[in-house]
Formats: sequence, structure tokens, C-alpha cells
Amino acid sequence: MSERLHGVIAEFDRAESLEAAVRDARDAGYTRMDAFSPFPLRETAALLGARPGVVFRIAVIAGLIGAILQYGSQYWMNAVDYPINVGGRPLHSWPAFLPSTVIVAILWAGAAALLSMLFILHLPRLHHPVFAVKDFERASEDRFFLLIQSDDPRFDLPGVHAFLQARRPTAVREVPA
Amino acid sequence: MRSRARSITTPVAEIPLAPHFGPLWWGGLLVALSLVGLLGLTLVSSLIFGVGLWGVNIPNVWGFDLINYAWWIGIANGASLFAATLVLRRHDLRTAVNRFAESVALFGVICAGMFPIVHLGRPWLFYWVFPYPATYQVWPQFRSTLTWDFWAISTHAIVTTLLWYVGLIPDLATLRDRARRPLAKRVYGVLALGWRGSVRHWSYHQAAYRVVAILVLPLILVMQSTVAFEFATTLVPGWHETRLPLHFVATGLVQGLSMVLVIAMLLRRFLRLERYIDDYDVELLGKLTLASALVCGYLYFDEFMAILLSGPRQQIAGLNRMTGEYAGLYWAAVVYTVLIPQILWIKAARRSVVATVFVGLGISAGLWFDRFSLIVGGFQRDYLPSTWRSYAPTITETGLLVGTVGLFAALLLLFVRFIPVVSMFETRHDEHEEAS
Repeated sequence: MSERLHGVIAEFDRAESLEAAVRDARDAGYTRMDAFSPFPLRETAALLGARPGVVFRIAVIAGLIGAILQYGSQYWMNAVDYPINVGGRPLHSWPAFLPSTVIVAILWAGAAALLSMLFILHLPRLHHPVFAVKDFERASEDRFFLLIQSDDPRFDLPGVHAFLQARRPTAVREVPA
Repeated sequence: MRSRARSITTPVAEIPLAPHFGPLWWGGLLVALSLVGLLGLTLVSSLIFGVGLWGVNIPNVWGFDLINYAWWIGIANGASLFAATLVLRRHDLRTAVNRFAESVALFGVICAGMFPIVHLGRPWLFYWVFPYPATYQVWPQFRSTLTWDFWAISTHAIVTTLLWYVGLIPDLATLRDRARRPLAKRVYGVLALGWRGSVRHWSYHQAAYRVVAILVLPLILVMQSTVAFEFATTLVPGWHETRLPLHFVATGLVQGLSMVLVIAMLLRRFLRLERYIDDYDVELLGKLTLASALVCGYLYFDEFMAILLSGPRQQIAGLNRMTGEYAGLYWAAVVYTVLIPQILWIKAARRSVVATVFVGLGISAGLWFDRFSLIVGGFQRDYLPSTWRSYAPTITETGLLVGTVGLFAALLLLFVRFIPVVSMFETRHDEHEEAS
């Protein structure tokens, strides 16, 4: 039981050390790893395979769906299902349908961007093995962490320890599963 | 580096985590909550006895309800527009002011959203504007600006809330990690949704945040125009103008800016955040407020010219606003929103708490006078001279206005107490970029 590990985590006190360590780990062939930082690190995220552009695409698609639904429902309700003739004005009065079409498209796009972001990141997830690591609470303040997970195909405990120690971290700790 | 990052986070995080808060905060909250009580009382009596308690009647069908709505939504939209612009430009000022600019927007839209609902007369049926399959088999009339407004307010409320909360998640995680008391740890822990600062998470988080900031810009322009369309699509003289959306958008911006300026100065002073909201930030806010006050002045001039160039009915209604019964409010609007802000040309005034708070609150009051003058003035000289009546608010309507001011203040005080007022992770990020 106690031998099951989530991985091994190294603590750094500089963002630059973390980025270098991630680069080395990738070059050494590790694939199942994660890095933790108190603020966004764009290059490090790209090294770890983050593709945040997908959020933008989701927002565009959701916005289009919202716009089509809103415009379509206005057209169908006011011109087809329940047409009201007001002084002979056209039933399909498209300029009057535009403001809420734009607004609802923004509603869909905005909600989709933020909610899909949480969904992609598997949040909310209140518990995670890394929270059990000593001093990990400083990942939200001033420390940087590199985690190599035990499900990595190249994971062998002494080897990972040696690899992380060679990156000159302030500490290396094992993360219980 | 280590001690530095820690010393950035500590002062801001200490505020929400402090076990006790000064008597000033409690006093302020008590006053604000008693006004919220007044709001509850006037809301409930408006619900039970109906809008007959208000001073509105034919032809003055819109009174304080729409004045207050247009005013609050102006504050909300101005603050949102400002915050989104800063995010998109990656401007340094965003680190200092974005969190509370977004909060001002959120609390403003809460106060604003109340008025269109109570003003319906039968507010419990407000969902009739939503297209649901009703038993009468009648759909809402989508050509009406009132349905546009339904979508605009609800979208603004949802998107602002989401943006505010998502931007807050990493800072809630910092509070969770720093909290000592078990209850605070648990509450902040649940609210942080298990944020663990993964670098991958950060990149998606930032991408989503920027996408929504981009979306907020058109939303605010469309929303504020929709408010203006509600007036412009009627035939009331002075309202039926194509310039009205521009008037509402631009004067809304000065309103939002002035509110952000006031809160920046007060936070700096009372929470001792001079390091986060520094002299440069305050100077820039003052200059922006001054510039938008000049735009406001241009719009009043434009309004005057539009009145001169329009038909005789519109001229009578327009001149009535400047010389009639409520002329004092029209001129007060000009003085408070254009003339008094001119003292911000002086550097010492831009840095003085008293001067900026006076100017900022003055602009907000001035814009309220402007909305009053526009809404009441249009009805006072409508097309039929036999319907020329005036409007005066009743005590219930005044209670609603004062009550929403109390609600806004109470929400702000609670925000200051429990949530980091300056984005801690943005500050850490900025200092890191400067260091490297």
C-alpha cells in the first residue's frame, strides 16, 4: 500500500530553474509530468503540451450556435408560428432581431469559454495527491514544482530521484498516491 | 526572489484572512446594511401595493425606476469596459485595478437588474419576456427593445459573474494555502475548486480569461446601446435621437471610471495598498477620468446642437430641460461631470484623496442628474400640450434609490473584507517579468 506512488516532485525557487528542468525532463524522454507555479509561465506550458487555442475555437463555435439559435427562434416565433401584423411592417424584420442575436452569441461564447476551460482541466477536483506534499502550499506563493508521475513509461524510482537531484532543486519528495 | 514573491502576496492576503477588522469597517457595514433593510422594505411594499406608490403616471410613465436603472447600468458597463480594455492591452494598470473594477461592474449590474423587474408592475411575471412555451401559445414580441434588454441584462450578469469568479480562482487558492483557521481554509478551499497552480492549467485559464475579455467589449457596446434604444425607439421628444446610444456609451464610461477612481483612492488609503495601487496608477486613472469628462462635455455640446437642428417640438422639449422646472438638474449635470473634473489638470489634485473622491462621486451624481433630466424632461413637453405634467418622486422611489446605494456599499465592504482586492497572481507575474 505505502509503496504506491503518484510520482516524485522536485521543488525549485526560481521559475527559470523550473523551465530548464522541464526542458531536460522532456529531452530525457519523460512524458507523464506536470509543473506547478504561482503565476502563468507560457513557455513552460508549451513545453508540457498545453494547447490553449482550443478555448478560442470552442468560444467561436458556441457563439455561432448561440447566434443561430437566437436568430432562428426569433424568426420562427415572430414570423412563422405567431405572426403579428403591425401596420403592414415586414414580419421578418431582421434589423430588430440583431441586438439580441449579438448578445446571446456573446453569452454562449463567454459561458462556453469559461466552463469548457474548467471541464478541460478536470476542475473542480478538490483533492489531488500533490496537496499531500510538504510545503506544496507554497506553489500558490513563491515556489515552483516539477512532478514526474509514476505512470510514466520511463519511471523507475532511483532513476527519477537521480534525474531530479541533478537539476539542483531545493528539495525532492515522493508523492504518495 | 523567494522572499520577494512572499512579501508581495502577504500584505494583500493578510486582509481577507485577518481575524478582526476595524470599527470603521463595522460601522460602514452597519450603515450599508440598514440601507439594504430600507431597500427590502420599499421593494416589498412596491410588490404588495404596486407601482401606485411611485410618482409615475401618464405621461410620466418612467421615473426613478428607469433613471436608476440607466444610472447603475452605466456604472457597471463603464467599469467592465475599462477592465476589459486593460486586459486586452496587457496594461500594467490592470494588475492594480482590474479586480475591483470587475467587482464594481458586478455589483452595479446587481443593483441595476432590480429596477426593470419591479417596474414591470407585476414583477412576478417577469419571465414572460423569456420565450418559453406558454399555455396562451403567444411568443414574446422580439421587435421590442424590452426583450433585447432582458437578454442584455441577463447576459451581462452571467458573463460578468463568470469572468469575476474565474479570475479569482488562483487567488482563492492562495488564500486556502495561507489560511490558518480551519473554517477559512475549508471555505476558500471549496471556492478555489482545487486549483493547484499547474502550468498547463494556467495557460488554459489565461486563454479563457482573455477570450471573455474580448467578448466583453462588444457586449458592453451593444448592451449600453440597447439601454439607449429603449428611449430612442419611442417617439418622446429628446429621446427619439440616433445620437442617444453614443451618449449613453460615452457618458457610461466616465461613470465607471470615476467609480473605479474613488474606490482605488479609498482602498489605497484605508488598506494601505500604496505599493500595489501606486502613484502612477492613480495619476493615470485621474487623467483618464479627466479625458472622459471632456468627452462628456463634447456630448453635451452635441446634444445642444442636435436640439437646435431638430424640429420645433424637440426644441421646446430641449429648452425646457435647460430652463424649465428641472433646469437645475441639467446644469448640475454639466457642472459635476464636465466643469469640476477640470481640477484633475492639477497634479496635486490627482494625488489627493479628498479631491479625487469629491470629483468621482460628483461625476456619478452628475450623471444621475443627466439621466433624470433626459427622462423627465422628455415627458414634460410631449406632443400634446394637454398632457404636460411634471413628475416628482415619492418616498418609496427615493427609498429604492438610497437602498441600492446601500446594497452596492455593503457588497463592496464584504468584498474588501473577504476577497483579495488586488490580483495577487498578476502582481507576482509582473514582478517576475520585471526581475527577468
